Amino acid sequence: MTWLKLVEGYMPMQMVGELALCVLAFTLISYLLSKSGLAIPRFWQGILFWVFIQMYLKYRIYPPIPFSVRAMYGTASMVAVFMWMSSNQEDWNKFKQPILNVLDGVSGFHKALRSLFLLLVPVLVGWSSYQSFLPNLEEPIELRTVHPAPPQNTKVHGKTVTLQTAYNPYRVNTDGKFDENFARELITEQSMGRLMQTKPEANPWDPDAKGYIKYVREGGEIFFQNCHFCHGDNLNGRGLHAFAFNPIPANFTDAGTLAQLQETFVFWRVAKGGIGLPPEGFPWASVMPPWEQHLTTDEIWKVILFEYWHTGFYPRTWD
Amino acid sequence: MGSVTRKKVLSIMALGAMVGLLLLPILSSLPALAGGGGPAAGGPPPEVAAAKKEGEKEEAKVQKGRDVYYKTEGIVSGAPAPVTTDGEKDYPRYNFESRVLLWFANQQHLYYGSFVLAVPIFCMIIEFMGVVAKDKALGKKYDQLAYDFVKISLTAYSLTAILGGILIFTFLTLYPAFFGYLSSIFRPVMHIYALMFVAESGTLYIYYYGWDKMKTGFLKWMHLSMSVILNVIGTVLMFLANSWIAFMMSPAGVDEKGQFLGNIWHVIHTALWNPLNVHRILGNMAFGGGVVAAYAAYRFLSSKTDEDRAHYDWMGYIAMAIGVAFLIPLPFAGYWLMREVYAYRQQMGITLMGGLLAWLFIIQATMIGILFLSTNYYLWQALGRMRGAEKYFRYIKYLVFILIVGFLIFITPHTMVMTPAELKAMGGQQHPVLGNYGVMSAKNGGINVVITTTVLSFVWYMRGNKVSTVSWAKFGNIFMGVFFALAYINIVWLAIYGYYIPANVRVGLSVPQVATTLSCLFFMLLGLNSVMMKGAKQLGPIEWGKISARSQYALIMLATAFTWMMGLMGYIRSSVRLFWHVNEIMRDNSPWAYTHTVGFAANMISFNVLFFWISILFVFWVGSLTKKAAPVEAKVPVPGGAPQPVGGH
Repeated sequence: MTWLKLVEGYMPMQMVGELALCVLAFTLISYLLSKSGLAIPRFWQGILFWVFIQMYLKYRIYPPIPFSVRAMYGTASMVAVFMWMSSNQEDWNKFKQPILNVLDGVSGFHKALRSLFLLLVPVLVGWSSYQSFLPNLEEPIELRTVHPAPPQNTKVHGKTVTLQTAYNPYRVNTDGKFDENFARELITEQSMGRLMQTKPEANPWDPDAKGYIKYVREGGEIFFQNCHFCHGDNLNGRGLHAFAFNPIPANFTDAGTLAQLQETFVFWRVAKGGIGLPPEGFPWASVMPPWEQHLTTDEIWKVILFEYWHTGFYPRTWD
Repeated sequence: MGSVTRKKVLSIMALGAMVGLLLLPILSSLPALAGGGGPAAGGPPPEVAAAKKEGEKEEAKVQKGRDVYYKTEGIVSGAPAPVTTDGEKDYPRYNFESRVLLWFANQQHLYYGSFVLAVPIFCMIIEFMGVVAKDKALGKKYDQLAYDFVKISLTAYSLTAILGGILIFTFLTLYPAFFGYLSSIFRPVMHIYALMFVAESGTLYIYYYGWDKMKTGFLKWMHLSMSVILNVIGTVLMFLANSWIAFMMSPAGVDEKGQFLGNIWHVIHTALWNPLNVHRILGNMAFGGGVVAAYAAYRFLSSKTDEDRAHYDWMGYIAMAIGVAFLIPLPFAGYWLMREVYAYRQQMGITLMGGLLAWLFIIQATMIGILFLSTNYYLWQALGRMRGAEKYFRYIKYLVFILIVGFLIFITPHTMVMTPAELKAMGGQQHPVLGNYGVMSAKNGGINVVITTTVLSFVWYMRGNKVSTVSWAKFGNIFMGVFFALAYINIVWLAIYGYYIPANVRVGLSVPQVATTLSCLFFMLLGLNSVMMKGAKQLGPIEWGKISARSQYALIMLATAFTWMMGLMGYIRSSVRLFWHVNEIMRDNSPWAYTHTVGFAANMISFNVLFFWISILFVFWVGSLTKKAAPVEAKVPVPGGAPQPVGGH
């Protein structure tokens, strides 16, 4: 069933769309069943819908969603079911009736169920308490700071760079003047993991390339000599050595990394590496070397230029 | 002189006295302001003092400094920020964490301060609604309600002052060096601040005790004018208080050593002052609405008679409506504040929303979501007390779905909490599906969808028991439906489009998204819907008091969420300075200059919330002890078949 795959690049929209279609389908099924006299009781409608959402999140979405996020989604969807079931008095009465029936023991079956719950609930509480006291050998949960705050300025090779005002000196036009728009117009586009050249002058392999696009090539050379072993030749964090680390190196093609950051932030991270992260960045979980010990300042700026060009993202700017 | 004329004269004198009280602090401070505030507490630095003794050489030795924010030059007029050391001198302490004690005192003062600043604004609005109401009985109901509000705020006002005193004593006792420095910087306006309290108290007492004497005609308008003055004073007071915290976050008017440069306006008007002011006004109003709504809900649930239930149901509705009216623009004001924070210091912005404090922002998003979910739920429950509103019930499930999807996207964390095994299974730090929900573009879309849906719920509520009789009703309904559909499409589309454009343009996309949401509010809810419902056919009365108990718990939830969120956001705003008392000027060298764990902070916030609610119950109880009769002659009529309380109802 290849048509059921989550399509890369459209996954977030696909997930919402699928859920919306499911809601419409359930409404239709419920309506048809009701018309044919086989209406599903309100109580079970609510329970089944909630179970469906949990199953969807656990088994449909890949890679697996961490438990903490599923717990948040599960709680919110439970609240949603409650809001739906109790939005008017008639529905609320229908929803709670089976619960009241068990509590009141209106029939032999309900009485048996009530007794079962009477036994089951303390047993479950006891079991979960026992489990919580058992020694746990799993690695603890980490509340990692993905984007630790950068300092106001950083000193690289004896020169102080103020992160809020500095800019990449290689975003220049063919005349060698700083020109952000020139760089923007020549940025590559990414689609389905492939680079899409839109303009002939945006070819960094052209030996006559000038300005920004020339520096992109130089940055690319530095990247493939130093960075791609970890960050991957497609800059998606899946390099040769990537899986020796946990977490794997940053995936630059993800909209949540480079695209969210100023170039100066990336400059600071590259220059200072994992060891240069601030104390509040704990747990650092980054083994990136401080590249200022291996690259010149100019080389760092060029490699950043290449990373943005290759991923098709624009760095964050203020105006 | 006739009694009416005498009353008029007295009321004009009272109003004049209030204006005088209002102007007194300003007039008395004119020389200080004109002179740039004069030397700050602690006197000029020793070298300046010595220079003065040298008579004629004085001018030549004037020390100049450069403003850290405005970059202007000024004459050094104060001592540098003290460099503190961990010890009894700078940080005297009990056998307890001083920061926690200060946190508690500050938070409680802030809760009450917000409440007593918000309630008079309510009173002003409701009293005005009463004065302009065409229906006399309804006008009296509003008047009674405004009176009830101010009665509650009177006791709270005393508590605010007491808590303010406790706060200052806590500062002086536990953080003398820091408080001394701040006082020295703000010295030129300190007495204005104090005198504003006097003016506020005087005005509030005249306003409250003058209610009975000034209840009709010209006198009533005079009374209403007093509420305006009262609120002007309260707002100025709050702005001044805000300038302290804004200075701590984004100092200005001082040089890099923290020396005051003589321009008090620079000190007050820092980078974050205005966004903080706007955010706090809206926040206070929403909070005040929540507290009064919770009070009404509590009274509703404990009512013994239908008459009481009807009254408190109505009161809860009005308070909720006012609170939500200010809640809707609140996220936009918050967005502006955060934008200014980023513009001021990227480091601060990232610490808040991407770094150390990012998880607290996820909790905040959850609380905002709870506020809107509670509001929608209340409105759907309120449909139950209208005959004819049943037609909307079957569609509520779709609203629930839209709300929850928007909510889930809004609360999806960018930094997910996971075990290393989960991290490995996920293949990287960013989840390819949910990771996209974790950034601002999607979140803006999520919250705008939630707010637009809330507006839609209001439209349904206002239409609940009515059918439009205008000849173009069908066209109007179709137009409104299409408008909302296009609004949703526009918001969602912009949220997706945000991933394909530069970040600076993406940030700008929030403007059309907000404009779309506000268009639904102003053009559809307040505009088209109101016009269509004018003279509409009633399908049945609103049966005040016949609302489910669940709705009242939703109101209590609303208020609790407000209180919790205020505590949370206050903590976040304060924590973002990390180890600075005054950002980049005065370092915090106490043993508590670290950021608490999320769990500890959450427990502390919960404790503050619990304490506030227990103490405000005391305030409500004191308010119920008063034997003062209602200012209206007639007993408040049982709402129901009686007049409709607001706009559409």
